[in-house]
Amino acid sequence: MHQTKNGRQITQTKPSTYLNEAVAIWFRDLRSEFRTRYALNAILMFAVTTLIAVSFSIGSFRIEEAERPFLYAVLLWIILTFSALSGLARSFVKEEEAGTMDILKLSARPQAVFLGKLLFNLTLLGAMELIIVPSFILLMAYQIKFPGFFIAMVISGGLGLAAGTTIIAAMIARASARGALFSVLSFPLLLPLMITAIKGCERAAVGIGTAGWPEVKMAVAYVIVMVIMSLFLFPLVWEE
Amino acid sequence: MIVRSLLTIWMALIIVAAFLYAEPATDFVAAGFPRQVSRILFFHVPTAWIATLAFLISMIASALYLAKRNVKADYIAQSAAELGFLFCVLATVTGSIFAKATWGSFWNWDPRQTSIVILLMIYGAYFALRSAVPDLERKRVLAGVYSILAFAAVPFLVFVVPRITSSLHPENTMNPASPGMDPKTLKVFLGSLFAYTGLFVWMLRLKIRILTIEGLRVRDLFR
Repeated sequence: MHQTKNGRQITQTKPSTYLNEAVAIWFRDLRSEFRTRYALNAILMFAVTTLIAVSFSIGSFRIEEAERPFLYAVLLWIILTFSALSGLARSFVKEEEAGTMDILKLSARPQAVFLGKLLFNLTLLGAMELIIVPSFILLMAYQIKFPGFFIAMVISGGLGLAAGTTIIAAMIARASARGALFSVLSFPLLLPLMITAIKGCERAAVGIGTAGWPEVKMAVAYVIVMVIMSLFLFPLVWEE
Repeated sequence: MIVRSLLTIWMALIIVAAFLYAEPATDFVAAGFPRQVSRILFFHVPTAWIATLAFLISMIASALYLAKRNVKADYIAQSAAELGFLFCVLATVTGSIFAKATWGSFWNWDPRQTSIVILLMIYGAYFALRSAVPDLERKRVLAGVYSILAFAAVPFLVFVVPRITSSLHPENTMNPASPGMDPKTLKVFLGSLFAYTGLFVWMLRLKIRILTIEGLRVRDLFR
């Protein structure tokens, strides 16, 4: 606070940076999410339901020992990808539904909005992975020879899921038939990542050929490309 | 008019030549495949080439639209995407027929088949997006953005997919750049590429004209 001659108070603020604005949006979204828990509940319940369905119908011994590394990786990534697709669109759709889009446009720069939403989606995905991946490993008796590689793959895969879908969420917020459209638009973009992540998790379970971390590098490259492309393209979507 | 007639005659000549003039590829016959199977080259490869060309044109036109906001660029992007999809389906079908004749099954998730399916999915999503946004201007921007995003994701497929399994797709035996191709085959092949490109250009211009006329009609409605 700063006192002027005639007694008025002026709030002096530092000029906001991209990072400030992004973090502010991230915290704001987290706070509103904690009030309703809409997205987290949707994603988690979707993930838990599919996990239970998979575990119940396949169990930990129905698949031959030799087939397990590959098939378990496929099942895990199908659960993770489709759970993410069930809830991540929420980050932008809720702005459209609450009518807060215009205020957000006035109060932050587009790239900062994108980064804030990306951070929020990452938090959601992180929470989901933290619950689903250990449960999957326990329920399916998933044996992993190289846990470090597996964890890196799950984390970089999660980063990729958020990086690939955040801008799509912004796009579909303005369209009709949002839920279906979100999956339809995201899936082709996520497919290369999904194939990579499945291969990586299989490799981690078998424990062969993990030198150089090829799949993790590929996923990280995917994240970088998608984030940079999104930063370029997001202002066009946002200011439309 | 004259150009179109010439194109029709050229196309007819190519079709006749593909069956009567060109000879079956010797290494295909040596491999024990049905004798006439290599003739699919004259139809499959040009459709795949046109699909690639069309998607590239669509992406460039999308970028142009986003930069300049010229409606014409969006007409080009949409037309090229639709034609690319059509030729992509044709390439998939002809490729699948070839797969049945040589590899024994219509579909076996060969890397080439995987990547073409993902390409079809991307452009299927592109059309779904276009039809889901009612506002014209917004539709064009979102479609353009998606087109460019999809183009950024595709190179990963090129690296990822071949790592899963090796492809059975004939590359070296039928590639015009390698010395393996018979000169007669090469002539008909290049002629066919030319014919298909001409056909594509004609169809593209027709489609752009249709969209322009439709656009004019919409503008009249709101006048």
